[in-house]
This record gives sequence, structure tokens and C-alpha cells, in this order.
Amino acid sequence: MFRDIYVTFHGFLQNFGAMCLFLARLVQYTPSVLIKRYSLVTYQVYNAGALSIVIIMVSGLFVGGVLGLQAYSNLERFNAEDTTGIFAGFALIKEIGPVITALLFAGRAGTSLASEIGLMKATDQLSAMEMMAVDPLRYVAVPRFLGGVISMPLLTAVFTTVGLLGAHLVAVELLGVDVGAYWQQLQSALDMEDVYEGIIKSVVFGIIASLMAVWEGYNSVPTAEGVGRATTRTVVITAIAVLVFDFMITAWIL
Amino acid sequence: MLCYARFRDRLGSLTNGSGKLPDKIIEVRDVDFSRGNRTIFRNLNLTIERGQVTAIMGPSGTGKTTLLQLITRQLRPDRGQVLVDGVDIATLSQAQLYQLRQRFGVLFQNGALLTDMSVFENVAFPIREHTRLPDSLIRHVVLTKLHAVGLRGAADLMPSQLSGGMARRVALARAIAMDPDILLYDEPFVGLDPISMGVIVKLVGQLNDALDITSIVVSHDVHDVAAVADFSYVIADGDVAASGTPEELRNTSSELVKQFMHGLPDGPVGFHYDAPDYAEQLLGTRSDSR
Ligand SMILES: Nc1ncnc2c1ncn2[C@@H]1O[C@H](COP(=O)(O)OP(=O)(O)OP(=O)(O)O)[C@@H](O)[C@H]1O
Ligand SMILES: [Mg+2]
Repeated sequence: MFRDIYVTFHGFLQNFGAMCLFLARLVQYTPSVLIKRYSLVTYQVYNAGALSIVIIMVSGLFVGGVLGLQAYSNLERFNAEDTTGIFAGFALIKEIGPVITALLFAGRAGTSLASEIGLMKATDQLSAMEMMAVDPLRYVAVPRFLGGVISMPLLTAVFTTVGLLGAHLVAVELLGVDVGAYWQQLQSALDMEDVYEGIIKSVVFGIIASLMAVWEGYNSVPTAEGVGRATTRTVVITAIAVLVFDFMITAWIL
Repeated sequence: MLCYARFRDRLGSLTNGSGKLPDKIIEVRDVDFSRGNRTIFRNLNLTIERGQVTAIMGPSGTGKTTLLQLITRQLRPDRGQVLVDGVDIATLSQAQLYQLRQRFGVLFQNGALLTDMSVFENVAFPIREHTRLPDSLIRHVVLTKLHAVGLRGAADLMPSQLSGGMARRVALARAIAMDPDILLYDEPFVGLDPISMGVIVKLVGQLNDALDITSIVVSHDVHDVAAVADFSYVIADGDVAASGTPEELRNTSSELVKQFMHGLPDGPVGFHYDAPDYAEQLLGTRSDSR
């Protein structure tokens, strides 16, 4: 049994090391890709970011609405319903915005990146590029990685904004919290540091989610089954990694 | 223009150094290769002559595709060397390797077209990546190449709109887009109708003569290969089982080659992938049987 644990742990470390090297190479190629192939990067920002906006906005609206409801119904008991804005705003900006955006991103963009790259591998397209003396790491992997990394903070901002509006709709329009109190309380309670926390998280989650998607696709077993497994693993691993890192970042900042 | 540049390169490489290039453009020396614990090649030796069409034949699963991957360093041999123009390709850096690969044109077994680009863009892809030609000239080159494979009219289609045979012809157009020195065809004749096949067979011959290209054609169709090949290797059981011109092979006395050339089911070449004894496995007397 100890042997099994050792083997699993050893395999995990090996995998983790290989992934770190992969990340290092992605970062190493980033400047040249940004200069020479920026059109590929912009396309991937569109592909990963712009195409995820609808799902992000709809989710943001409802998550915000729920937060407004929960905050109101609890705060009302202490006659503190004016602080609904603080409650919903803090939760959205510091925690829920970055985390849920990352999870939605993994489901929407991460899976499509992983399966796209996996399929390119399975149909020899990556080998064909190598044979045409085009490095698939630069042509395929880096633009997709950068597209994700750039999109995530933007998507998080969209999610958080729409979420605040959703909370506003429920608390102010539906439940009758004073509109001035809602925004004023939030504004005076919120520090720039709280916003930075959200931004840091969204950047870190962007790196994690994009890296996982590109890595899983790039290292998938080149068969239909392998591509399917890679997509599933992308979502599972991203979700776990995002939640673990969320805890670590929060603990580090507080 | 493109052709001119390459011609000049070639002149340059002909005149510098020792003056004359060796006749053996590719040499595979004492190569061992295995995947997992399955040995694919054991002490394989073969040479490809410059300017000729060489056929690699052999039963399915003997490692013909693997051999092409070794020659282009998509895979590295466990032992032995692969020399291109006398240089061991295992010693090349990535930049040098990519420079070498620009001299290769590879036709993949399943085409391997880039699915997110049109047929035109697929053929233009290597040209755009490696030259700074203006768009009008690229258009000219691409349409010429597509015309050569009879698919100029399909330039605006996406790869998903092509049939298997059409995709392979587009892939061929892409493989010759950069006017390579060495063309590697993996099963170019599979899935083509007789007319396109005739066209491709003729094209292989023409390219070879007109542009002084060296071609390696992998195929298991003995008769089609005989029409184009100057020399053939038959690979079986991890080694060269026979070699010679198509006529020599046809008149050979070797049992194995006879079986292969005439498509006989019984003979020294096993039809089956390595397996435990059939009867034993069915009766379940072996402990490792499933
Ligand atoms: N990625 C791989 N991993 C492990 N084994 C492989 C892999 N690819 C091929 N093989 C094995 O290597 C052997 C040679 O494969 P290869 O594709 O070179 O055969 P081939 O001669 O091209 O066959 P065909 O004529 O059917 O294309 C096969 O027995 C196959 O089982
Ligand atoms: Mg093959």
C-alpha cells in the first residue's frame, strides 16, 4: 500500500514538474508570439473571451440576485438591510466573481480549448505543422494560453459588474432597499485593496485555467477517447486547483 | 520566383563545401526502434538515392509510417543513426532541424489538413510562414499547386467539405508548396479513384524528373508503386526483407517477397499481430489469456 502511495505521488510529482516546464516554455515564447503573431492572440481572446460573455453575464445576473436575496433576508433581522450592498459587493468582488468566472471559463472555454488541441493532435495536424517547420507550441499553444490569460480578468470584471446589478435589481427594485444606501454603503466600505484581491485572483485563475486546458489538450492520448478524457480532466483539475488557490490566496492576503 | 530562389540555394549548396553532394541523400544505419516492449526495427539499414523514387513496401503494421517518422526526426531511434546528406540528424539543434524540414515535403497518411483554414489557406500556410512573398504571388503559387492536383476549383472549400481522396490531394499540394528537395508520401494511393490515382502517379514521376526531387513512397499496393518506383524496399519483421528494382522483386525467388508481391494469404509473413497460441487461448489453458 505504501508502495502504491509512493508510485502515485512520484507520478504526480513528475507530471507536475513537466507541467511547470511546459508553463516556462509558454512564458518564454510569449514575447515573440505577442510581437509576431498578435493576430492569433486577438483571435483567441475572441474565441475564449468574447464567446464566453453570454454565459458569464447570465450567470452573473442570477448569482448577484441570489446574493441580494440572501443578504437582505439575513440583514433585515438586524434592521441592517441598508448594508445589503456591502455584503453582496464584497462577496462578489473578492470571492464569488473570480471563482465562479474561473469555473464557468473552465466549462465553456477550457473544454473547447482542450478538445480542439487534442483533436489537432489526434488528426496529425500538430505533426504536420512540425513537418512544415512551424513550432506548434508557438502557433497553437501559446496564443490559446495567452487568449485565456487575457480574457479571464476581463470576464471576471463583467461577471462582477453584472452581479452587482443583479443584487441591485433584487434588493432595490424588488425588496425596496434605498438605492442611495445600497451604493453609498458599498462605496465607503470598499477599499482598493479588496478590488486588488479580486484582480490578483482573476489573473492567477486565468493562468491556471488556460494552462490546464492547453496542457491537457497538448498531452492528450491522440485518439477520440483520449480527447474526451482530456476535456473531462481539464474541468476537474481546473476546478480543484482554482478552489485550492482561492483558499491559499485569501489566507495569504488576510 | 520561389523556384528561382530555391534553385539558387541549390546551386549554392552544390558549389560550396566539397563540391559534389553524395549520391545517398538519406541513409539509415543500424537502427533499432521499439515502442513500449514491441520491437519495430532491429538493425535496419537502408539508403535512399538522390533524385530517385524509392518505394517502401511491407505488410500493414510493420512500421512504414514509423520509418518516415524516424527519417524526419519526429521519433528518435533507440540505437543507430539516420543521416541526411551525410549529417546525423540526431545532432541537429531545433533551429537546424526546422531548416532541414523546410527541405522535406510530407504527405501524411490521413492528409492532416489544418481544419480551421480553407483549402487555399492550407496550401498557403507554409509559404506564409517561411517567406515574405506578396499576396498576389502567394495566390499565384497556391493556385498553380492546386491546379497540379486538379483541385483549383476547391480552393474556397473547408477541409471538412472534402472527401478523403480530395483531402489527400490537397495535402499533396501543400506538401509541394515550398518546392521541397525530398518528398515523403505515406500511402498516397489509398482511397483514390483510378483517375485521380493515375494523376497522382503521373505527378509523382513528373515532380521527380522536373524538379530533381527525391521521393519516398510508402505503399502496400505493389502494382501502383511499380509504375513510379526506381527502387523498392520490402520491410518485414523489423528489417529489410528484400530490395531491388520492381522487376527484380517481381522475379525474386524469396518466399516472403513472392507472397507479398502476389498477395498470397499463406507464407512466411504472418497475417496476425503477435498473439498467444489460438487454441490455447480459446480453451483458456493459458493463465494470461483474456
Ligand atoms: N503511437 C504509438 N504507440 C505505440 N505503438 C504504436 C504507435 N503507433 C504505431 N504503433 C505500433 O507500431 C507498429 C508500426 O506502426 P506503423 O504505423 O509504422 O505501421 P505501418 O507500417 O505504417 O502500417 P500501415 O500500413 O497500416 O499504415 C504497429 O504495430 C503499431 O501497433
Ligand atoms: Mg502507416
